[in-house]
Amino acid sequence: MKQKYLFLMLMLLCTTIAQAQVTYPVNGVADNREGYYAFTNATIYTDYQTKVEGATLVIRNGKVTAVGKGVKVPKGATEIDLKGKYIYPSMIDLYTGYAMPKPKRSRGFSFASFAASIDQFISKKKGAYNWNQTVLPEVNAEQLFTIDQKQAKKWRKMGFGTVLTHKQDGVMRGTGALVTLANGRDNELILKGQASTHYSFSKGSSTQPYPNSMMGTVALIRQTMLDADWYAKGGSKKEKNLSLDAFNATKKLPAIFEARNWQDALIIDKVAKEFGKEFIIRGSGDEYHRIAEIKATGASFILPLRFPKAFKVEDPLDAEMVSLAQMKHWELAATNLAHLEKAGVNFALTAAGNPAFWKNLKKAIKMGLSEKTALKALTHTPAQLMKMDNQLGSLKKGMYANFIITSGNLFKGKNSIYENWVQGKRYVLKTMPTLDLRGVYALTLGTKSGYELHVSGKPGSPKFAIKQPGDSTNTKVKGKMSGSLVTLSFNLDKKKKGALKTRLSGWAAEKKFAGTGEDAEGKTIAWAATYKGKLPPPPQKKDKQGKGKQGKGKKGNKKKKPAAKSEMGEVIYPFVAFGNKEKPKAEDMLIKNATVWTNEKDGILENTDVLIKNGKIAKIGKNLSAGGAKVVDGKGKHLTPGIVDEHSHIALRSVNEGSQSNSAEVRMEDVVDSEDINIYRQLSGGVTAAQLLHGSANPVGGQSALIKLKWGEAPEKLLIPNADGYIKFALGENVKRSRYGFLARGRYPQTRMGVEQVFVDAFTRAKEYKAAKAKGGASFRKDLELEAMLEVMEKKRFVSCHSYVQSEINMLMKVAERFNFRINTFTHILEGYKVADKMAKHGAGGSTFSDWWAYKYEVKDAIPYNAALMHQAGVVVAINSDDAEMARRLNQEAAKAVKYGGVPQEEALKMVTLNAAKLLHLDKRIGSIKAGKDADLVLWTANPLSIYAKADKTIIEGAVYYDAKQDEQKRAEVKKERTRLIKKMMSKGGKGGGKRPIMRRQRLLHCDDLGGERILWHLSGDQDKVHTEQATEHNHKR
Amino acid sequence: MIKKITFIWALLLLAWQAQAQIPTPAKPQSAPIVLQGGIIHVGNGQIINNASIRFEKGIITEVGTSVNTSGARVINVQGKHVYPGLILPDNNLGLHEIGAVRSTLDVREQGLFNPEVRSVVAYNTDSEVIATLRSNGIMLVQVVANGRFIAGTSSIMELDGWNWEDAVHTMDEGIQMQWIPRMYSGRGRTVPNRRFKQQRREAENMFRQASAYAKIDKPAKINLKFEAMRGLFDGSKTLYLYANFAKDIVEGVTFAKKHGVKRIVLADGTEALKVADFLKEHNIPVILQRLHRLPMYTGTGVDHPYRLPYLLKKAGLTVGLSYDSSEPMGARNLPFQAGTAAAYGLNKEEALQLVTLNNAKILGIDKKVGSLEKGKQATIVVSKGDLLDMLGNKVEHAFIQGKQLDLLDKHKYLYKLFKSKYDAKKK
Repeated sequence: MKQKYLFLMLMLLCTTIAQAQVTYPVNGVADNREGYYAFTNATIYTDYQTKVEGATLVIRNGKVTAVGKGVKVPKGATEIDLKGKYIYPSMIDLYTGYAMPKPKRSRGFSFASFAASIDQFISKKKGAYNWNQTVLPEVNAEQLFTIDQKQAKKWRKMGFGTVLTHKQDGVMRGTGALVTLANGRDNELILKGQASTHYSFSKGSSTQPYPNSMMGTVALIRQTMLDADWYAKGGSKKEKNLSLDAFNATKKLPAIFEARNWQDALIIDKVAKEFGKEFIIRGSGDEYHRIAEIKATGASFILPLRFPKAFKVEDPLDAEMVSLAQMKHWELAATNLAHLEKAGVNFALTAAGNPAFWKNLKKAIKMGLSEKTALKALTHTPAQLMKMDNQLGSLKKGMYANFIITSGNLFKGKNSIYENWVQGKRYVLKTMPTLDLRGVYALTLGTKSGYELHVSGKPGSPKFAIKQPGDSTNTKVKGKMSGSLVTLSFNLDKKKKGALKTRLSGWAAEKKFAGTGEDAEGKTIAWAATYKGKLPPPPQKKDKQGKGKQGKGKKGNKKKKPAAKSEMGEVIYPFVAFGNKEKPKAEDMLIKNATVWTNEKDGILENTDVLIKNGKIAKIGKNLSAGGAKVVDGKGKHLTPGIVDEHSHIALRSVNEGSQSNSAEVRMEDVVDSEDINIYRQLSGGVTAAQLLHGSANPVGGQSALIKLKWGEAPEKLLIPNADGYIKFALGENVKRSRYGFLARGRYPQTRMGVEQVFVDAFTRAKEYKAAKAKGGASFRKDLELEAMLEVMEKKRFVSCHSYVQSEINMLMKVAERFNFRINTFTHILEGYKVADKMAKHGAGGSTFSDWWAYKYEVKDAIPYNAALMHQAGVVVAINSDDAEMARRLNQEAAKAVKYGGVPQEEALKMVTLNAAKLLHLDKRIGSIKAGKDADLVLWTANPLSIYAKADKTIIEGAVYYDAKQDEQKRAEVKKERTRLIKKMMSKGGKGGGKRPIMRRQRLLHCDDLGGERILWHLSGDQDKVHTEQATEHNHKR
Repeated sequence: MIKKITFIWALLLLAWQAQAQIPTPAKPQSAPIVLQGGIIHVGNGQIINNASIRFEKGIITEVGTSVNTSGARVINVQGKHVYPGLILPDNNLGLHEIGAVRSTLDVREQGLFNPEVRSVVAYNTDSEVIATLRSNGIMLVQVVANGRFIAGTSSIMELDGWNWEDAVHTMDEGIQMQWIPRMYSGRGRTVPNRRFKQQRREAENMFRQASAYAKIDKPAKINLKFEAMRGLFDGSKTLYLYANFAKDIVEGVTFAKKHGVKRIVLADGTEALKVADFLKEHNIPVILQRLHRLPMYTGTGVDHPYRLPYLLKKAGLTVGLSYDSSEPMGARNLPFQAGTAAAYGLNKEEALQLVTLNNAKILGIDKKVGSLEKGKQATIVVSKGDLLDMLGNKVEHAFIQGKQLDLLDKHKYLYKLFKSKYDAKKK
């Protein structure tokens, strides 16, 4: 009954504090209350950098009316004395799904739903919306918002007063609403209905296959932005598009983009700069891996504080499955914010769904984050990012009365948040102790006096003890306080166990207690206690305990703490095993007395020196003088140009878009992964450059990325500057989806006949597009897919085409000729030997495997003599890998051209160096040893074509990226670092914490690795899972 | 003149094509043969320069620097390298034609325990892959089925013959068992095997009952599975255990020992090094799957797989090499696997031994093949250069039990066919 009454009262309070005028009816008499309060004697942070002690805060009608020292309590205001307490502006979280409907997501994998969606080409959303189901700018959080009291309470408990909420579903997610966490009518809670727009790389509930890759997602975002622009400029006359309407209407709002890792953040920044847009990036917590690049984005970040748990590492065989990167991140994750602060990156914090938020924030502060920046990131910065810093995030006149009252410094120790005030409404999280009763009191029990009552503990939850006269130890007291009421019970006669205790009931006031009770005989007595003075200092426990183990204990304590700090590991580049502490730098070098395979007219030169200066080959000759260059002994060794892999899928975060027949708009440059261990592994096999191709799931794939394997550099720095653009085409079984059994029979093409028409159609459209583009005007819509096709036709972008059988090879050459361009490279091209003369005539190069065959029907006629025959017919022949494992043995694969078909050794080596460079139009810069070319070189221990050859040094632009001796050292370092971290994990969690060791193996991508069940994952867009290879599975099906 | 030769070539080729691009199986050795003056790599670590080898009726009768040539066909192999025919364990050859075409695969039978399934009967002597392996020096293959957990019964096949009865070298010699793992590695992470306990119980039952069954000579009711497993308990069949992780290796071997399996081979030695002492103690030989693969963990040295043969040998184990079982078309690279082992720690003869005598020992056929020694079968390969190196591997003569092989294969055929096209154009 009582509770019900209280609840009603509360409800009344809530509804009546509000503003004088509302649009809705009130039941009963108008009970308008202004919420007029004055908080006095508090330590107030009026903003993140201003701390005022002994200050007063006055609020009225949900706003601050005055704040500062010396502010008088106005008449009519209820005064609340906050002596010893702190007031902070309440926290703001910009990345939440607070009070939003949960997006519908299919649970797990359903074969039926998958089969149904595999050939879905347009959105299933009904209405005049965008064609793609994950483009949802029309979603409007303010329309979806309705208070969620349970969630609100949780948020308030953490000290938050305001959140930005949006529906977390889709790539373009629509607008977010800035709402307070008060209880009340929804109408009052929305501070800004359309406060922001939201983006992510996650497709969410969309059932449409496109996009099913990272680069497809980026392309979709680009195209949608272009479409919106076109739509605004006149496209709206052609079609009604509610999604683009919404996009255009909200495009000036602050835009928040979710990144899953720092690599995402860099791509977000890239797109932002392309479109002159600014994104606030919702970061991931690993930004410290590439702090310089993160800083260079200039973007503001919203950061979570999630730290990985320690792994179970007590079993050494299991522990091996935890990677060094995982271990290092476990150690260093808490330093992320300190790194960002030091670099001067502007950031806010998010606590969404993170129960460990405060614990982790305190840990981050321990790791070097300043309290000031922490407070700023929780108050001012989010307010500023929402352009609400004149109303939120600090406590100044006219601003929202959103603040918290705490027991002490928010970031220190075990402080408590007592109250959270939102829009002037009070929410009590923990009863504030009004009385600090701690001290020593003179106690009288009935007629007896001379006792001392000791009150210790915390204000609000005191602990009691009694000291009897003549007794050196205290008598235990069981005590409890509720408000100002106190209950005590104790046994004064320590020897009499089980006797009736003296029981007291009383009430406390400032510096005194009084009350009534019953003594050990059950006689009613009166009692009282009056304040005598402060508590004596507590006895030093340590001394007592430490006596026995003093030596050990002290040593342990003293040494451990400072050691733990200095023992933090370093950030390495990239952040994986074998990463560098310092990135390799170009140095001038003289390689002396090597056997030099020049790939030029000079052929193979014995006992020859090569001088490298400023990253270029400066001189080739005998007895060259070193000048200041470092001398490398090449005696008995072979020096060749760096190996160039024409067909590679390493260092990519995603490989196939493949959901549409034509995905010319996607760019592999958007998904270059600088952290792939295979970069380093391939350096150990002498590879220095590679074309990172799109996969072969569709006739027109995506645009290639040409990289050098500069292990340690960030993704953008791997790209070869000013290289020609390339695009992947594909023919045959993969593109007609013939390996999917009964699935995927809806997409055109299903036959090689259809494949031709896809190309003819694409180029016909591109031709028309060209005319439309030339005409220009408002109706012209920039189409990234056709732009790429047009570039191909205009010989500005070059084709590398996955191909196997002679009919299709012939077909594509004819299509190209019809549209007046040439196919630059046929890649794989296993039946190239059957039409090599035609290829030579057309001018196409062939980039093939050495000896792979019979993995699928269309390669049943593949022969290892292919390279030799094409070479004989005058085709520029390269040998490629399409495989992370094979790529580190490309020299051996080239040797097979000697074995199968008798190609001269020099020519065979060219197939993995100069010829590949030619096919990539880089032969003026790399591919041979010639003065003026890039110093991309490999020093081998033996004839590079022999099975016994090993790379001793791999050099890119004069910098040594792989050195066999250094490699040995690195292995030892990896081992050492792991040991250190395992020790640390063991000491931290005792048993090592809660997580199981989960092995993260390497993702190895092949262009059409769609064997067996992997297809399902592939098509469902789960790229990361699809192409993951296991040593136990057979992974060489191409 | 040249035109004429080309024409004749083309005719010959056409004639050969009519035989479905499979070389004619060889006839039994009719007269003694002496390979004279070569570099003989015995296969047991020895090398004999400028030596000869004589064989009659399929058996080696003499090896050495002075060999009787009387009555023999003498083949001059001066400066050339003579090797025992290479032996490839653990392969789907003949059961697996084109990876992506299901109708060409006879690899995996339905069910978890299929010891009764015999690879020999599905071995297709007309597979186009077979001859390509011979061309690189592989003469014997252990043909296996795949599957969880008992895949089937394997046989060792000679790579020549009109049909499987012709081609079989050792029939039904072993049983392949994928040990029930505690964890599966798949899709980028390792996940616990949820049915681990149940599956182990089933395996336990299977072996317990099979070993009991094996003690009865004539059971009232015949159980085909137990019949097939009989040989495991008397040593006439070998148990080939596949276990990915070190812990699985220990558990698998312990399990087999407990149930009285006499001959155990660890057929996937990826993590054998971690439990090398255990394997040595139990005298378990190890087959390493293809060395040309990436290390299992990012933090492992890039050449770790290459060095394994050396490291395992150093740890005192008998080591052999295989290739991925499901890649018969790639298995012609077996000699280069051995070459890699030679580049990373072993000497060349030790490396050769991995794919000759060691593999023979592991498969239990070392009394007949695996080295060039008197009394052994004349299964011999002659290469122009170093067989283990791409630059040297050029098989010029090959013999299986003295039968001289026709070394043509589909690839050489297509090569010659199209070479003649381009040669003709040049003229």
